[in-house]
Amino acid sequence: MTVPLKDDARFVETTIEDEIVVMNIDTGDFFSLRDTARDIWRLIDGEHDRLAIVTALAQEYDAPESALAADLDAFLAELDAAGVLKSR
Amino acid sequence: MPRLCPDIATIEHPAVALLARETRWRAGPVPRILDDVALADGEYILRDDRFLFRTEGGIGFYYRRGEGITLEQPAAADPRDVRLWLQGTTYAAVAAINGLFPLHASAVTHDGRVYAFAGPSGAGKSTLAAALGREGFPLFCDDTLILDLAGNGAVTGLPGHKRLKLWPDAFALARAERHEQVASDYDKYFARPAGSVITDPLPLAGLIFLDQGPDPALATMTPGERVARLQDDHYTTKLFALAGGPRSIAVRFDELARIVARIPMRRFLRPIAADRFDEGLRFIADYIRDTRAQ
Repeated sequence: MTVPLKDDARFVETTIEDEIVVMNIDTGDFFSLRDTARDIWRLIDGEHDRLAIVTALAQEYDAPESALAADLDAFLAELDAAGVLKSR
Repeated sequence: MPRLCPDIATIEHPAVALLARETRWRAGPVPRILDDVALADGEYILRDDRFLFRTEGGIGFYYRRGEGITLEQPAAADPRDVRLWLQGTTYAAVAAINGLFPLHASAVTHDGRVYAFAGPSGAGKSTLAAALGREGFPLFCDDTLILDLAGNGAVTGLPGHKRLKLWPDAFALARAERHEQVASDYDKYFARPAGSVITDPLPLAGLIFLDQGPDPALATMTPGERVARLQDDHYTTKLFALAGGPRSIAVRFDELARIVARIPMRRFLRPIAADRFDEGLRFIADYIRDTRAQ
């Protein structure tokens, strides 16, 4: 089971109020994360694999795991495209 | 060596003294190449602690930290153009290289604190700041606000180094006194504001982004929106993109984050029709007074 990993050398982040703002330091592009996206970002810690992340989200959000899994996969793809994840 | 801002140089504040020292200029030849990169007219380069800029009219500026500015003027150069570029892009680059944060904004003060107005060119920053003078808000700066983030988490605004400049149709709205034209091909005029001008560094208390709307209103902004607007309005964003390097970007991000976390920010929506200008003016004046009273 794949464990998604952040590429720490390629971004900086900060938490402001209830959002996490992440900037790719190679491109200067940044994005902000709220709600589910923020929680997923925090769970990408090198210890949670994909299934563990879905399980953790299911405990927090009232949604079927299949839907959460789909959201997770889509979000991971976005993070990968943004250049902040290590290649799998 | 002449000082760029002789009035400001007398103020005893480390950042103000730093800028006064670093913006001293002398006449001399300016290189056309920086680190093997040739510079064409109308372009600029910022690398580490050096800045090289040449206008389309051939006026050259070279700055290196600790050495001041070298200025090369063609014989036919209009002194007004020289001053415009010296006090604008060059000054902002010097500030950024020296760890200060230049912001494209005009600002006023109220009760010892700075309230700044940001937005793209033509948004009405100067007009609004000037007009607030007749509501009892002294002018703090026009067009460029330099922030000092050095002191214990505080965000300090440095007093303006440039004279107020207004478009011709703004003088009636601002009730400012019109003086000479700014530059040969720039249809703004220097202006004397209706109220007083502050020359002391003061803490920044609010940042207001100017937008258009059907009626005067203030809109809150999410942290992400605040970062985005502050990034867009960062005077030297383009300069530092040219400088490149992860360290510069990371440093600037940290500065953005500190400002966003500490300074209240709002979007000020207001109608652009001239006959409703005073309505918006009174609205924002009341907001500033109410904010300070809290």
